[in-house]
Amino acid sequence: MGAAALRALPWALLLLGPLLPGQGLQADPVPASEPLQRFPGAEPGGITTAPPASAQEIEPLHKQPGNHSGEGAAKPRKAFPVLGIDYGHVRIPFEISLWILLACLMKLGFHVIPSVSNIVPESCLLIVVGLLVGGLIKGVGEKPPILRSEIFFLFLLPPIILDAGYFLPLRQFTENLGTILIFAVVGTLWNAFFLGGLMYAVCQVGGTGLNHIGLLANLLFGSIISAVDPVAVLAVFEEIHINELLHILVFGESLLNDAVTVVLYHLFEEFANFEQVTIIDIILGFLSFFVVSLGGVFVGVIYGVIAAFTSRFTSHIRVIEPLFVFLYSYMAYLSAELFHLSGIMALIASGVVMRPYVEANISHKSHTTIKYFLKMWSSVSETLIFIFLGVSTVAGHHYWNWTFVISTLLFCLIARVLGVLGLTWFINKFRIVKLTPKDQFIIAYGGLRGAIAFSLCYLLDYEHFNMRDMFLTAIITVIFFTVFVQGMTIRPLVDLLAVKKKQETKRSINEEIHTQFLDHLLTGIEDICGHYGHHHWKDKLNRFNKKYVKKCLIAGERSKEPQLIAFYHKMEMKQAIELVESGGLGKIPSAVSTVSMQNIQPKTLPVERALPALSKDKEEEIRKILRNNLQKTRQRLRSYNRHTLVADPYEEAWNQMLLRRQKARQLEQKINNYLTVPAHKLDSPTMSRARIGSDPLAYEPKPDSENLPIITIDPASPQSPESVDLANEELKGSSHLSSSPEEDEEGLVMRVKEPSSPGTDDVFTPGTSDSPSNQRMLRCLSDPGPRPEPEEGEPFIPKGQ
Amino acid sequence: MGAAAARPPPGLGALSDETGLSPAALMRLHERFQALDRDDKGHLSPADLQALEGLALNPLCERIVGAFFPAGAQRADFPTFARVLAHFRPAEGAPCEPGGPSSPGSKLRFVFELYDLDGDGQISYRELLQVLRLMVGLEVPDEALAAVAARALREADRSGRGTLCFEDFAKAVERLDVDRRMSIWMLK
Repeated sequence: MGAAALRALPWALLLLGPLLPGQGLQADPVPASEPLQRFPGAEPGGITTAPPASAQEIEPLHKQPGNHSGEGAAKPRKAFPVLGIDYGHVRIPFEISLWILLACLMKLGFHVIPSVSNIVPESCLLIVVGLLVGGLIKGVGEKPPILRSEIFFLFLLPPIILDAGYFLPLRQFTENLGTILIFAVVGTLWNAFFLGGLMYAVCQVGGTGLNHIGLLANLLFGSIISAVDPVAVLAVFEEIHINELLHILVFGESLLNDAVTVVLYHLFEEFANFEQVTIIDIILGFLSFFVVSLGGVFVGVIYGVIAAFTSRFTSHIRVIEPLFVFLYSYMAYLSAELFHLSGIMALIASGVVMRPYVEANISHKSHTTIKYFLKMWSSVSETLIFIFLGVSTVAGHHYWNWTFVISTLLFCLIARVLGVLGLTWFINKFRIVKLTPKDQFIIAYGGLRGAIAFSLCYLLDYEHFNMRDMFLTAIITVIFFTVFVQGMTIRPLVDLLAVKKKQETKRSINEEIHTQFLDHLLTGIEDICGHYGHHHWKDKLNRFNKKYVKKCLIAGERSKEPQLIAFYHKMEMKQAIELVESGGLGKIPSAVSTVSMQNIQPKTLPVERALPALSKDKEEEIRKILRNNLQKTRQRLRSYNRHTLVADPYEEAWNQMLLRRQKARQLEQKINNYLTVPAHKLDSPTMSRARIGSDPLAYEPKPDSENLPIITIDPASPQSPESVDLANEELKGSSHLSSSPEEDEEGLVMRVKEPSSPGTDDVFTPGTSDSPSNQRMLRCLSDPGPRPEPEEGEPFIPKGQ
Repeated sequence: MGAAAARPPPGLGALSDETGLSPAALMRLHERFQALDRDDKGHLSPADLQALEGLALNPLCERIVGAFFPAGAQRADFPTFARVLAHFRPAEGAPCEPGGPSSPGSKLRFVFELYDLDGDGQISYRELLQVLRLMVGLEVPDEALAAVAARALREADRSGRGTLCFEDFAKAVERLDVDRRMSIWMLK
């Protein structure tokens, strides 16, 4: 952990001093009068509370003479309190913020010192930090806070799960759903009963004060500890980058086993109160499993649909779009927990359901906001959880019983291994891609336990389960073992066994096309075979989605956008933004597309002036401007409405990029020569002069430019090696910038190219060739070509913005 | 139909060797063949396949049906049926004729041929555009599709000819694990 942590700790201690009487998160808020009682402020000249009014509110009982101006008349006059301390006023938020700050600083520290974090996973380091902090607090003589279950389940866990659910790789998940379900349900049941049963046997045999633990208590214990923990799995697996299949198997299992855990936990907890357990109870328990899991999913789906529907109308208030996503998901979680349904499954379901529709509706910035907020919250949550695990270990009451703990640990491991082996043998009969022994090893080894088990145990009340402390101790031991030993060794093992790692490259348009092609092909073949397999149902769902659901939940024209086109859009957008952000021409992507995709359908886009956020449409405009300079084909454009371009940071970046391009002209030439694909049949030699005016009107200050000239594409002609070169245009044209006052006036102007150059015959369809919109469009399209044109050197600085 | 279903088709053993399908799978396929063959003709016609409602809604309906009736034939007997479907046998390394329908490269080649209608061994821009048009539907304007097709072609085309040969295609989809996708469990 190094210097940063050590530096932080004394500081933390210093500030923790005042915290300690409050006992952090565990006890009820200490009455506010207590800290003030520590300050003998009653006599004159002592420390007085700063705003007298607030002191009055906080502690009506505590009277400090001479401090209240209202009472000043009868008391001896005090000096006006210039400075005061009122810690009780801010204690709780202060402490919470302090803990979170500590967590973030720890995280920072680990990354500043990479050497340690390469060997030891972050989760281990955080637990150690927690141990140290807990030890420090205890050393000072105060009681360290224990991770309260409510705080854990209501505040710390949901962000992590939502982050996981919202970004769940749906394709792999559904392809392996059967496997995942079997591992989650059957595997967890097997673990719970095997462990519970064996522990009961041990308790009977052990004879070291364990005899009083009944079967039900043991089964309860088994069910608590048998669940693989999503937080721990995420924390560890994130760092080892194994291939997607294994990742989704273990992770999916850890998510879906929540339903089983919830059912078993409540079941055994209830049963422990019963005198007798009848068959009816068992059947009811079995039923409740379905209720809990399907109910949770149902609740999640409802909220997901509502969220998607809400997002349809948020085009006018873009700034609060992310909030809808978060709130609806959180409500889904809370609603499920309200009915004792599986909150985790509700959260996952809502994230999965709302995502495709919400993403089609919200702006690009909202999308980024959602992504970053989720990552931020889940990161902080995870850190806090592990730190508190450490602190709670120090703080908690422990009851160490060697037999119990060691046998728990042993049986946990054995149960996991046996379970995975047995289930894989069964599953492989039905899988096309079998799970190899290597895979099985990783799955078994990745069965980490974590804070959920701890919190569940902590929830048990002492009355019925007086061996709770022993359970806690055993659970903590298992958690420590899995996180430390398994977490630390899994990375070298993965390397040793040469397990396939995650492929980092992004999906290309080719893959998308062929994937869809294969999907359709497979669906057709399945129909012919009469086999209602995976593809058949997926196809049905897609069709239903397209026909009914998308229309309801996606705003405007995008509801009709086919998935392929949407994918293409997204890809283009990402590239354009990367280009702007990188700012340099040296990174022209070699697969730049030829045609902008903005106007799939003519649509009326809302004018967005008030919002500071850059909407998705704006981004597309920028993208098209970029395309302007990199394209080599002509294109047919339909007329459309464009709204004003509000001055925005991309403008800045654009201008800077232009300047840089001026300097890098030579490099551009070379790159452009490289870029040209001589045999590529898409461009004509004359196209080198035609630049795609995909959205030149973006710079048009007037919102109502209806007219655009039609520019035809001629895809069949060969391309010339001439390149689009904005810098060239600028340079050549800059000297002529002030040539005509007309140009200056219009700012970003375009000159209608006289069709004298060969081949540009139908490039610019006349029509409204005199409108400024046309001018601008043509300007984007014009190009130096073999002879420099005087007008083309103007930079894209819109006037009259 | 009940009696006919029990009778094994002629040449089962040879067919099994050729296609790599197990005799049990072939029996199942034979039943299916007879179920599809509405008028009990003993062979399939395109109309038989197109009568399947799920297939009729499929964007690639004609191409798939066309795979069973190569070169404009109007009849498909059972061996043809089995041979085409053998491409979708889960490849588990079971031995079959090299170059037979379920050898490793053959699945990919089957897909390639679905793209390459004119059979010249290259997927041209036009063919790609046609496939895209089929899959995407009628609402998307031409230039949008042109862009997608152009981009796809440009990405995959390593030889610079402007068309995709089989090797280009194979390289473009190598991450997709086509062999695994083109496996129908029923045909094991």
